[in-house]
Amino acid sequence: MKFGKRLKQQIQESLPEWRDKYLSYKELKKLVRLLSSTPPTLLNGSSLEQFAKNEAEFMCLLNTQIDKFNAFFVEKEEDFIIRHMEVQQRIKRVIDLWGPNGSHPSEADYKEEMAKIRKAIVDFHGEMVLLVNYSNINYTGLAKILKKYDKRTGGLLRLPFIQKVLEQPFFTTDLISKLVRECESIIDAVFPAEEEAERAKEAKEAITVAGEGIFRNTVAALLTMQEMRKGSSTQSPFSLPPLNFPDSDFIQSIHLNAAVPIV
Amino acid sequence: MEAPPAFSVERSSAKQHINMGMSEALPSSLPVLPTPLEETYPKLSDSQSTFTEKELRAKPYTHSSHLTSSGAVGHMFSSSPGYSTDLHHSSFSSHEKHPRSTHFISQSLSNMASLPLSYSTNSGPVPSTTSTLYSNGNSVSWPTDPLPTFLDFPANTSIDNIQVESSACNIVATEEYSKRNDWHEWADQLISDDDPLTSNWNDLLADNIQDLEPKVSKSSSQVPMQSQSHQPLPASSGEYHVSVAPSSSANSAPAKPRMRWTPELHEAFVEAVNQLGGSERATPKGVLKLMKVEGLTIYHVKSHLQKYRTARYRPESSEGAAEKKLSSIEEMSSLDLKTGIEITEALRLQMEVQKRLHEQLEIQRNLQLRIEEQGRYLQMMFEKQCKSGIETFKASSSAIESPSGVSSDAMKDSTAKTESETVKVDRCKSGPDQTNGSTKVEERPSEVGEKQEAPGSLASENPEKHANEESDPAPKRRRTEE
Repeated sequence: MKFGKRLKQQIQESLPEWRDKYLSYKELKKLVRLLSSTPPTLLNGSSLEQFAKNEAEFMCLLNTQIDKFNAFFVEKEEDFIIRHMEVQQRIKRVIDLWGPNGSHPSEADYKEEMAKIRKAIVDFHGEMVLLVNYSNINYTGLAKILKKYDKRTGGLLRLPFIQKVLEQPFFTTDLISKLVRECESIIDAVFPAEEEAERAKEAKEAITVAGEGIFRNTVAALLTMQEMRKGSSTQSPFSLPPLNFPDSDFIQSIHLNAAVPIV
Repeated sequence: MEAPPAFSVERSSAKQHINMGMSEALPSSLPVLPTPLEETYPKLSDSQSTFTEKELRAKPYTHSSHLTSSGAVGHMFSSSPGYSTDLHHSSFSSHEKHPRSTHFISQSLSNMASLPLSYSTNSGPVPSTTSTLYSNGNSVSWPTDPLPTFLDFPANTSIDNIQVESSACNIVATEEYSKRNDWHEWADQLISDDDPLTSNWNDLLADNIQDLEPKVSKSSSQVPMQSQSHQPLPASSGEYHVSVAPSSSANSAPAKPRMRWTPELHEAFVEAVNQLGGSERATPKGVLKLMKVEGLTIYHVKSHLQKYRTARYRPESSEGAAEKKLSSIEEMSSLDLKTGIEITEALRLQMEVQKRLHEQLEIQRNLQLRIEEQGRYLQMMFEKQCKSGIETFKASSSAIESPSGVSSDAMKDSTAKTESETVKVDRCKSGPDQTNGSTKVEERPSEVGEKQEAPGSLASENPEKHANEESDPAPKRRRTEE
């Protein structure tokens, strides 16, 4: 149930249009529960039929989920590819127009535009990371459900099925990761050089509120991830090691101080 | 980290990034198709014909992964015949998969030879129940399920919620085989939900048919693909291009295959658009012609162009508005965010968190991949041992005449295959073996766990197999167990 709760939290904290694209974990769990635990070899007649039906329904739902992930992921990926190029062109345009060597150098305009671009690009970066997070959390959920299924029915669905999942578009996040890294280098280029350490620290302390939107979501995602990896009751060969951040308290404080409720 | 090619080919019909193409077993499915290719869509009264049709319709798509524009490597994943095929193949996609579900069940319920299910009428290839992995026969039988699931896309966009999903599955699960015809109507309904598209059906279809035919035949001659397993495809796809039948439900399929864009492809797109005078003036058809990318349909270009236009517009107008909305809320909550420097610092903080999250996600993903690979390796080891165990048994009882002679041959083949696979996996395994301590800890329990997960029938043989293990894998295993 822990995962289910965490997933729910994540969903709540995520961007509105994403909320129904996550794994229907609860539904799948219900279906698994419905499956009888007597080995099918011992069933006969109508109970076998019932089992087959339930199983079919489970598989169907599982596959629908995967389709859902793929469709959403690929579409988002396409959007990001477009935006990635757009952001670069936008920066170029601003520099060419208002920059120091541009056609109409204007420091005020330049600064203003660059500030906007910085905000946009950081949010863009965040959104991409959230997509990777989306992919990952859904994968985790699937793995868990399959494990439950195998446990319940004594079947061997998990291993081969998860192999297939690994190849799915929604799990192959390499392209997005690449875009994220490129974005980071753009950001480094666009942000002014690191201010004096004290000033920076001061400002950081002043900002303990994660506003609505991307930032909040990423903080939530990070915390969720940490929680999920804390150590499970059913540690198995397929579990991930616990996750420990050095300054997790800091991140926690950002999260807890968030005053703005997500609408 | 790539899966051992032979192994994955056995399973998957098509992957996108890895581009493994159709499974080599696919050609063997061709003889299975009983019905003539020209058979049009309509009454799905026969599972065989349904299967045929789906295969037909799917073929052009998997095929269209052969892109030839210079440098532009788009990954067509209307290989959703590819990917979800593999998922669906043993399972139940939202429509009339009853026969398939029986196959799936027979697999997962290890060795249920005969299922007394009321709706098991498909005489298609029955999966070998001895294998716990999805056998070739199985994966070949339904290379293309996803066409029905394409119909889910409009549903997904407009009604996407759990209820639809499970009710869809409920409908299928509870309805009888014969009710497949309802799907036809339901599919139409789903299609009509998606308004902007319906008006373009004829247009798209006409374009698609024209585009697909030459493309498919062209690509059949382009054999030097990214991988060797594509080769079986071209030969077969040529026959199938006529399958794009102009019936209403078929509309959804050709127009809807999921396309996976890449930055290179997008660059080519932008260039084409600029050549045509900008995003406002460029038309999908023009862009499509200019891009000259195999497998790209006008539908893809259309939707991409739409997104492109929105994205261009956004920085100038609505994105600014959205930013203002967000920033105004932030201002309400924190009065400190006034000076430019502080804003920048806030952004830096945000970046840090985001970077950290991304880093962790990447690490997590790699771990997950490695875990699964480990599991798969162990599974194969077991299979191999199991088969060699059975083989020696059979050899010892070879005096006895039995039809098992055939199956032992098959097993020999698969053993040979698994052996070559394990060799490759051994090499892969030596990779993970060299990793740091934390993952080693994982690998070790993973082995232990894997043994426990093995099917009950094999469990008793495990200790035996351990003793009988060949020298090569054995030391490796012991090493990691330290």
